[in-house]
Amino acid sequence: MRHGWARKSLVLALAVVLCFGATGLAGCSGQKESTEETSGQGPVETIKVGVQTALTGPLPDYGDAAKKGCELAAKDFGTFEMNGKTYKVELVVLDDKAEPAEAAVVAQTMVDDGVVGVIGSLTTGATLSAIPIYAQNRIPLISGSVTGPKANESGVDTFYRTCWSDAIQGEALAAWAQELGAKKVVLMDDNGAYAVGLADVAEKALKSAGVQTLRQNCQSGDKDLSAQVANIKEFGPDAVIFTGYHPEAGLLRKQMIESGLGDVIFMGGDGIKSTEFIAEAGGTKNAEGCYATFGGFPEAQQPGYEEFAAKYEKAYGAKVGPYAQNNYDAFGALIAAIKAAGSTNTEDIIAALQNLTYEGVTGTFSFASKAEGSVARGDIVVEGLTPANVPRYVVKNGEWVGVE
Amino acid sequence: MIYALIALGYTMVYGVLKFINFAHGEIFTIGGYVSAFTLLALGVSDSMSFATLAGCLLLALLGAVAAPVIVGLVVERVAYRPLRGRSRIMPLLSAIGVSIVLQQLIILIFGPTPITMPTLKIASAAVSLFGVRVRVLALAIIVISALLMVALSYLVRSTRIGKAMRATSQDMEAAEMMGIETDKTIVFTFIVGSALAGIGGLLVLMYYGSLKFDAGFLYGLKAFTAAVLGGIGNIPGAVLGALVLGMTETYGVSMDLGLIAWLVVAGLVAGLYVQMVRVPRHRLLHIANDRRTPDYERRIMNVYRLAPYHAVKTLLGERTDALLSVSASHAVRLTVGNIFLAATAAIFFINGSARIDTRWQPVIAFVVLMVILMFRPSGILGEHITEKV
Amino acid sequence: MAAFTQTVRSAFTKVPRWVYLTAAWVLAALFPVLNALDLVQTAWIRVGVLSLLFALLALGLNIIMGETGLLNLGYIAFFAFGAYTTALLSSPKFDLHWPFAALIVVSALVAMLGGFLIGLPTLRLRGDYLAIVTLAFGEIVRLTIVNVPTLTNGPNGITGIDFLKPLGPGVTARLQSAGLPQAVSNLLTIDKPTEYYYLVLVCVALGALLLSNLKNSRVGRAWNALREDELAAVSSGITASRMKLLSVLLSSAIAGFAGSLYAYYSNVISPESFIFMQSVIVVCMVVLGGMGSIPGVILGAIVLQALPQVIRESAGAARSEFEVYRMLVFGVIIVAMVVLRPEGLLPDKLWRGQAHEADPRELERTRQTLFDLEEGEQDLEA
Repeated sequence: MRHGWARKSLVLALAVVLCFGATGLAGCSGQKESTEETSGQGPVETIKVGVQTALTGPLPDYGDAAKKGCELAAKDFGTFEMNGKTYKVELVVLDDKAEPAEAAVVAQTMVDDGVVGVIGSLTTGATLSAIPIYAQNRIPLISGSVTGPKANESGVDTFYRTCWSDAIQGEALAAWAQELGAKKVVLMDDNGAYAVGLADVAEKALKSAGVQTLRQNCQSGDKDLSAQVANIKEFGPDAVIFTGYHPEAGLLRKQMIESGLGDVIFMGGDGIKSTEFIAEAGGTKNAEGCYATFGGFPEAQQPGYEEFAAKYEKAYGAKVGPYAQNNYDAFGALIAAIKAAGSTNTEDIIAALQNLTYEGVTGTFSFASKAEGSVARGDIVVEGLTPANVPRYVVKNGEWVGVE
Repeated sequence: MIYALIALGYTMVYGVLKFINFAHGEIFTIGGYVSAFTLLALGVSDSMSFATLAGCLLLALLGAVAAPVIVGLVVERVAYRPLRGRSRIMPLLSAIGVSIVLQQLIILIFGPTPITMPTLKIASAAVSLFGVRVRVLALAIIVISALLMVALSYLVRSTRIGKAMRATSQDMEAAEMMGIETDKTIVFTFIVGSALAGIGGLLVLMYYGSLKFDAGFLYGLKAFTAAVLGGIGNIPGAVLGALVLGMTETYGVSMDLGLIAWLVVAGLVAGLYVQMVRVPRHRLLHIANDRRTPDYERRIMNVYRLAPYHAVKTLLGERTDALLSVSASHAVRLTVGNIFLAATAAIFFINGSARIDTRWQPVIAFVVLMVILMFRPSGILGEHITEKV
Repeated sequence: MAAFTQTVRSAFTKVPRWVYLTAAWVLAALFPVLNALDLVQTAWIRVGVLSLLFALLALGLNIIMGETGLLNLGYIAFFAFGAYTTALLSSPKFDLHWPFAALIVVSALVAMLGGFLIGLPTLRLRGDYLAIVTLAFGEIVRLTIVNVPTLTNGPNGITGIDFLKPLGPGVTARLQSAGLPQAVSNLLTIDKPTEYYYLVLVCVALGALLLSNLKNSRVGRAWNALREDELAAVSSGITASRMKLLSVLLSSAIAGFAGSLYAYYSNVISPESFIFMQSVIVVCMVVLGGMGSIPGVILGAIVLQALPQVIRESAGAARSEFEVYRMLVFGVIIVAMVVLRPEGLLPDKLWRGQAHEADPRELERTRQTLFDLEEGEQDLEA
């Protein structure tokens, strides 16, 4: 009995978990009954909307923001009147760990739960594996953060998104680099689906315009990019476009400056447009003059952003997280579609989504009803957007500010 | 180079307990997070006087050592000690469980966003050394790693507790009978290992400015690789392994694949296949002396004509003849190996000075690991703390 | 208390093994019926499919780990070989649509080839070094998949894999155009979770049958002998390298087979499914279930694969808020299970006596075993 107490404490921990589980089960069954009661003839009807995101796994910060965006939207649009009845939305938030196999299980759980629509998922891989299940069960899926151009390659009518496809940003980055007079450009990604997709589009656009390019990669999580920096140095580019996320982007910028490449134009997609980038690049001085495009209008141009940010900060005491407003809009659009359809039948909602024009926080948009060029079915179609007026940002005095 | 500190911790624990502590990477992350948290809480900035700054850093170091040590101790007590004396695979499994738990705890306590250190001048200061700009911190990391390596070697070789560690590693029961408190010794090992990981966490944080909750996984994996590379359980081996790994990762991809690389690759491929057909020496000699019939001689001569015999002979020395005479099937295999070699060489030759794409960087590190282990199955410097008395 | 557990234990051991086994298979076969009766959500069927797929994988790994005693930390690579072979040959990627029967075999063969290439030079390594080399191999395979987008679409993965048509797409299409009733032709396409569940269940049953026969054969005994004491085994006439290679080939073939089924099932495959952590999870399944024990390994796979969903659902009404803590609980449960049952959930009787042994070649072997037996008694009381 040498290890008695360790053993006992573990048994205790297990018991606590099990108790928790048991009470949870009891709660679950109780709550089920109450929904059935209210869904009868009562004036209040509860409908379920799923939020499939990644709260654990590699990107919990994005998942957290998506969840908060949806919660906020549920507070704002969650209760509405339709056909003389009051509808109340109950959020079902499930975590798919950004893992494809888990995403399929989560999608099925959502379907089983009888949700009328789902906001999600966070990442391309998970979304790809969830799309067939939602399509088969005819449930609309609206993602506020999946920007991969290939997300809806199969062209199903149940997938929509309220964030811009990378194709838009890739073309914008290429156009901007040329405007800045770059003749030799290094494109670097972090081997993730998002960054590779974005870099592919930009590389294609640059090459067709006759710009010399070099492609480099790192792994997300890398801390030492000296090999890549050495290669960049040898190539001698005018601009470097890093399409991954801020941790590696900051390091790249920092290590480039340290090896004397401070004059090279540093550009990136929306993965680097965060305040962390500035700190990770080694402070205000290093980050000064870095450019980034963004998959959405600048916050000042987003009609409802100020109000949204105030609400968000009030509710969570933190700055608005990545894609929170897109998820907020996704939820809003879903409710608008339900209202437009005048029913909670998912078939009607899908039909309504295709003809919907929604005025959200990020602007007024509708969804593409068919695939065309780099636009896939269900992609967001923003009013008045061309590749040339995709929002541009630059770091000035330690802050990202919009470029006119 | 930073792998060295983490690899040292791995090696310590492995040397004594003979099991892979997968949670070591997470302990490293905790060190980094706690020190960043301390620095943020203290509001460290460049405007502080040097003394206060040094004080703050010292405090952060204290945190970076204390927190991992506490976590390491708890983990050892709860997850590893009950499994002592059982198969080696079970602690591995529980280590994986622990690593999941620790990672989630980091997220829950510090939030899901990567933690960033306040920017400090000393962290980015650089000096010119032999015409190359080197960061002071990089030098500091090298110096600290070297110092710790020496200190650890001294600890293991020449102190009482070191002797106890070696004894525990060799035979736990016998050590216990000799009056060594193995539990205490193991706890001490964990303290040292965790403290090293914590210091590693602080240095990585200082060097790169930020740390993500799952950084420990990748670092742990690479540090483990480094430890195995140098011969796990061997303290200088861990540092050497880290050095080799770091070098291959950095220079492996920026290397111009000219003639040198061509030769290296060719040599490796040849070696790999020779390794495949290796037969015990006594059997080789036996066969070489007794079974050389004219028929064999003829077949061997055929092989000589096919294969770049002299190249192989340079690689293998005297054993070549014996090796070739083992049997016809071995000879055929060797020939196939040579054809393969020639093909590989040709591909690289045609590509000429083509660079390896940076995306293959981790692959190179792993290939180097595999090849080294195939040639030197117990790492570059051999294993075991114990044997280095 | 101790007396009571003793009574219960002896009562349970009096029931013959086959009763348990039959009961387990019958329960497994009846599981989808619960879904049809609306007692169980369809998500559980999907969890079941994944669990069984991983059970198949764990069975494969059990050959090399449990029977032959070689630790493999890159096992998921063979799974990836199978999945990608199937995906490439039955998707719009190259516009190839091979029939199911051919693909299952080809996938297994490709995985076997991978096993052969890695097994040949590395099998001489022992213990942890073999583990680290296989780990490196697994990572190399994954990174290669990520890095060769022309073949594998890189990180984007391959989408639109054909539905599983047991008779092959050609025959099915011809039958359908020949005016086969819709209900029958629906059965010719396996696309519903329940259908996959039964398919995989049959595969697991066949795999278990094959392996339990193998285990009691000459080959199985040779493997066990190698695991217990390689030197002694070789001296009694076992060709170590050939036997080891055989076990590697067989286990990689099973992984390739499972990979093929996975590709069909998920319709989409991407490198995220083949990360190092997955290899570790499969190892955990084998160890947790009890190395070398076929029912144990299957149980281990089911427990580990279903656990996250069990934790999710047991949070009930608080489910949405509880998601953040799910993996934490998962980790705690793994540690708890290992600490409380170090022999695995259903340890193999043959294996049990030696389960505590680190390296069979260590000198103090007998003494250690005796010592552990004493400890084992304490375990029963605790």
